[in-house]
Amino acid sequence: MRKKIPALLAILHFVFSSVALAGTISGSPHDFLGYSGDESGEICKPCHAPHQTKPLPAPLWNQELTTDTYTMYDSTPTSLLKTAPPASIDAKMRLQPESSSKMCLSCHDGTVAHENFGDLADGAIPPHGDALTSADLGMDHPISFVYDTSLSVIERDLYDPATKLSGIVGSMGTINDDMLFEGRMECSTCHDVHNKRAVAGTKLLLKDNAGSSLCLTCHDK
Amino acid sequence: MKKLKQTILVGIALAFLFFASSALPGNIRSTKHNLSISGSGDITASSERQICIFCHIPHRESVKMPYLWNRSSPPYPYIPYDSSTLNAVVEQPTGSSRMCLSCHDGTIALGAVTSSPTEIRLKGGIRYMPESRPSNLGTNLSDDHPISFVYDTALSLENLELRDPALLHPAVKLDEDNQLQCTSCHDPHDDPFGRFLVMDNMGSALCTACHDKRGWNHSAHSRSTAELVRTGGLWENTGFRTVAENGCENCHLPHSSGAGRRLLNYVNEEDNCLSCHDGSVASSNIEAVLFRRYGHRVQNYQGIHDAAEDFTLENVSKHVECTDCHNAHQANDAPSLGGSMVSGATRGASGVSAGGSAVKEARYVYEICFKCHADNNVIDALTIMRQHDQLNTREEFDPANPSFHPVEAPGKNPNVISLLPPYTASSIISCTDCHGNSDPSAVPGPHGSDYPHLLIDRYITDDFTPESSFSYALCYKCHSQSILMNEVSFPHKLHVVDQKAPCSACHDPHGVSSMQGNALHNSHLINFDLSIVSPDNTGRLEFNDLGRYSGECFLNCHGKLHNPDGYPL
Repeated sequence: MRKKIPALLAILHFVFSSVALAGTISGSPHDFLGYSGDESGEICKPCHAPHQTKPLPAPLWNQELTTDTYTMYDSTPTSLLKTAPPASIDAKMRLQPESSSKMCLSCHDGTVAHENFGDLADGAIPPHGDALTSADLGMDHPISFVYDTSLSVIERDLYDPATKLSGIVGSMGTINDDMLFEGRMECSTCHDVHNKRAVAGTKLLLKDNAGSSLCLTCHDK
Repeated sequence: MKKLKQTILVGIALAFLFFASSALPGNIRSTKHNLSISGSGDITASSERQICIFCHIPHRESVKMPYLWNRSSPPYPYIPYDSSTLNAVVEQPTGSSRMCLSCHDGTIALGAVTSSPTEIRLKGGIRYMPESRPSNLGTNLSDDHPISFVYDTALSLENLELRDPALLHPAVKLDEDNQLQCTSCHDPHDDPFGRFLVMDNMGSALCTACHDKRGWNHSAHSRSTAELVRTGGLWENTGFRTVAENGCENCHLPHSSGAGRRLLNYVNEEDNCLSCHDGSVASSNIEAVLFRRYGHRVQNYQGIHDAAEDFTLENVSKHVECTDCHNAHQANDAPSLGGSMVSGATRGASGVSAGGSAVKEARYVYEICFKCHADNNVIDALTIMRQHDQLNTREEFDPANPSFHPVEAPGKNPNVISLLPPYTASSIISCTDCHGNSDPSAVPGPHGSDYPHLLIDRYITDDFTPESSFSYALCYKCHSQSILMNEVSFPHKLHVVDQKAPCSACHDPHGVSSMQGNALHNSHLINFDLSIVSPDNTGRLEFNDLGRYSGECFLNCHGKLHNPDGYPL
């Protein structure tokens, strides 16, 4: 019996080891220390400040916000579902990205330099570097849409987010619990901006996408 | 210790739950479309672990493509499907079908994704869809089911054998533009039914979701429980056991069909029928009778028959195919309702009416025959030169004629005493009562015969033929040999037995057109064979009908002058 306990502990350790591997923002792609233009050494500062400077209902936001008008993902020319109401996903989508996704886009649409935070806001530094995306979100996975049970009924190739487990390592929560924000899919549905739970070696993905596990969390293909 | 044990058990339970919750979702994993290293198909990646990436990418960086597509749209011009009976407008592939074709036309490497400057490497050095695979459709789509056409209610009203798309089975989807695409039949993400079909095609449920072929549900080809006999790779694409289960796919291939147009298995029209009707599957062995001396030699023609052909126009070249007389979508073994009504075998075949106009579905057998043997008679020379030549069979059988065999209407003569039961003077018969297979044990119908004119029995037309039940077996099937020879209606014995004149010397079996003959001279099918009968010394060659069992002739025959000779004797 005594011999078996360490073995079982080893198995359990292995099972949960990926949790232990979860990183921190320090050293992650979102660690801008050293090239942020700010020498304060405050790692949070490019995005957050203890006293909010930007008029956004966001957690103490400190980054200059994008003023872009976005072209949202449009399923109209792409939907395969004739039986669905027209553009079912579009009906549940915001006209423009809001919430956390808008904060991501501040940097990632390429219109605001990531140094533009705090005192350096208001376009002090022109945008530079590679933009992950652009103001045209039509080429990107849709965001800022309500992903609820009713959508999964219309789009039958989507799991019900209220019951389907996220499968995120260490979590027993549903998609809705772990991956949606006010019931909406946002950038953070897939990406862990703070690298708390992101899988090492991925683009801050919440789940390892081997076997397209992340995609197939929601897509019942 | 006990507490530790409990802790371990709880831990194991938690671990189990954890694993269960992250159990791999998604049916695509187990399909051939899982091209990742975890795939189980023949074509998989050397190291790529993601599945979706072969087709989709969450953030595209270049050209805007629908479906977050991760492949280049093939630029190639395709040869679209076409046929003379196609109502839909089929042009270049559009929408999602272009995506499917980016692998399945075989021109773009399977691992060529836009998210990577280099191709995703596949095991075995495979780059393109191998040509040996049936899923490589090539860029010639003329032998594949048409795609990328608008399937709307208007189309279903043009082609009445298409269902109204508003009533389609929910599994069969059109795209936003009401176009039928690859995805109408195939779900690239899931494969519970094989071939990525959106539903099980047993009994052609998928095909008939759109195709509402008239009479199909009552046809032998949709109901037969005969077991298929697979030879030469035929029907390898289906796993079905019986003709009914195989349905449309008995004859049609939705992709890379042998014939191209109409997606038939074989380019030789009859091969599509004979693959079953050769004694292997169907009870009716047609192949066995096709090689008789006389017949409708379907094997002699190829590529002439066109389902859109109109026999009332003079642009149809001589040919014969099974489908000229049979409609495979409707045919069954139901008997004729009598007279010259079509039987199940010829149900739904097109025809030309007694009035000479095109008929979409023939009600009478003669209407089918009239397609090729009436106004557009493919037979351009008569074997017997008669007083009144007539190549238009429709004219010969016109009920307005002075006499005719009762095919379109009961005959003119009320006193046909020779008729054997069940025939009476008011009976109606069919072309196929005389013309058909000579082997009574073979499948009926005018397929092949040992006798000229594709007759079911012997009918000798040579002069000086010794009379016997054998010589005129065809006539004697309905007309009693003994009653004919009792000389009541006419001195037949004198002519046929004693003088060895054949029946055909005086009688023209089809009829005498009212445009050429009249009731005085041409009742009783009288139309003399000019090689046997010649004019009398005054140049007269005629029969005069003098009433019931009475008449006279002016002619010269076998050296005997009739000027006139009358009967009764």
